[in-house]
Amino acid sequence: MGYAVRQGFRYAVVVVVLGIVIVPFLWVFLASFRPNSELIQQGIGINFDTLTLDNYRDLQQAAQYFTYLANSAIVAVSSMVVSITLALLAAYSVYRTRYPGRRPLYLALIITYVFPGVVLLIPLYQLMGKVGLINNLLSLVIVNVTFTAPFSVWLMRGFFGAIPAGIEEAAAIDGAGRMRILFSIVLPLTAPGIAAAAIFSFVWSWTEYMFASAFIVDEGKKTLPVGLGAFIQQYNIDWGILTAAAVATAVPVIVVFAFIGRYFVEGLTAGAEK
Amino acid sequence: MKARQTSFRAFLHDARTGSAPFGYLLVGPLVLWLVITIAIPLIYAVYVGFTDAGIIGTEADFIGFENYATVLGDAEFRSAFGRSLIWAVGGAVVQTVLAFATALALNQAFRGRRFARTWIILSWIIPTIVIAILWRWMLNASYGIANFFVTTLGISETPIDFLGSPKWALPTVIMINAWRWFPFLALLILAGLQSIPGELYEAAKVDGANATQRFFNITMPQLQPVLYVVGLIGTLWAFNIFDVIWLLTQGGPSGATQTLPVMIYDRAFNGFAMGEASAISVLLCAFLLIFSVLYIMFVPAGESDTEVF
Repeated sequence: MGYAVRQGFRYAVVVVVLGIVIVPFLWVFLASFRPNSELIQQGIGINFDTLTLDNYRDLQQAAQYFTYLANSAIVAVSSMVVSITLALLAAYSVYRTRYPGRRPLYLALIITYVFPGVVLLIPLYQLMGKVGLINNLLSLVIVNVTFTAPFSVWLMRGFFGAIPAGIEEAAAIDGAGRMRILFSIVLPLTAPGIAAAAIFSFVWSWTEYMFASAFIVDEGKKTLPVGLGAFIQQYNIDWGILTAAAVATAVPVIVVFAFIGRYFVEGLTAGAEK
Repeated sequence: MKARQTSFRAFLHDARTGSAPFGYLLVGPLVLWLVITIAIPLIYAVYVGFTDAGIIGTEADFIGFENYATVLGDAEFRSAFGRSLIWAVGGAVVQTVLAFATALALNQAFRGRRFARTWIILSWIIPTIVIAILWRWMLNASYGIANFFVTTLGISETPIDFLGSPKWALPTVIMINAWRWFPFLALLILAGLQSIPGELYEAAKVDGANATQRFFNITMPQLQPVLYVVGLIGTLWAFNIFDVIWLLTQGGPSGATQTLPVMIYDRAFNGFAMGEASAISVLLCAFLLIFSVLYIMFVPAGESDTEVF
């Protein structure tokens, strides 16, 4: 009896928490198929007869959706690749090698989050201007790596901790070089952690708004959040097109997550399991 | 040149994998990257803080500590600082409570666990702009669904203008941000929970410890290494959040949600007072740096597998 009650309580917590997260999004998803005239009326009733694709048609006419989408994909994937490469090397260094100044260095990596993005926005804007990267997607990749790589290092810690002591020495005795050890022994063992850090970097880069809105001016270079973000001012209370824009911005990352999402959770947890 | 290349190759082939130069070599690229994108811009920001720079990129004169005097004497700065504290502490409390409840629930065995563990993170993976549209519509004072519940359930006679009234705006924005971040925090805690050996709980049960005792004597101490880092980084992240607030309220109504990052952005890009904005930035960084140093000195790190902390 006690067990059934506790199990029921656990289910209730899970359902409530999942509901808090998912239901608002479903409500907006549904709204994007409703005519605007209904969206500015109060109530929870939905008229299923009037569901329409008009909002998406309007959105398609008003925005270069697929251009934004392609830009976002380029930025997010490039940021992810660079971030993971740097973070992997750094993680191997701080978790698996010993040298003077390692702990302060590790702390310094974590402390980089002391410096607010908005503080760096002004000088980075000028720096990017000097090297001609304003209006260039590369500028976004550069800042995304700055903000994702340090945390990615920490995300991989469990996997580096779990690599058996002495495995590198054993490989070295067998004649493997340092890079060979890194790529053929360490890399496979830490793969789930790398996956988690990669997804973290991807999501962060996909959702990044502030730098993308400052560094990119051309319509044809805008990322999805910035391109459709301009709608908030432009279509102030045209909720039909706004909710369609919201869904169109969210769906790509949700689709990606549907395929790789489980690796994120597994990658966060598996390395630490005992 | 040839000889140097050969020796570099020989170095990579060296069997002593744990040696110091190799460690520096691996961490070097990231350090260099961060120096270029954080340290150099930061030094520049410190410099601009001592000038009367107006619009971005214009000529400016050195004026010493004048910006700091202006900012510290500015009531708007002090209230923005207070608001940032409320934002960070309030958000941390709400998020921690929600995240712990979620992590503990997700750590149990139940049907559909993988689905729940994957999709709980939905609010974190969708872009901020989506969150802004979503909540601005649902919290609208005249036709938002939130106010449908508020009035039908009798919580309030009249609709609440969640984002538009100075009284409600800050708590509302804090809740929305907590809604966005608590699932991510929950998964990090969940990862920590999974690293706790089950035998500890078995032994405690045998010794007659109840659930509360097990939580405070096993779960919490075992989670300490995770909570230590998440507590530090999470606080720093929270303090520096800009986009959610900006897209929801732009710091309004009448400054009710203007935290320090929002004020910095507003001063720099709408007020054209780059010098002052930089001075505020430096003060914010100094505060966070002091906070971090105190945190590292006084908060117990817990025992970590990797012996780094």
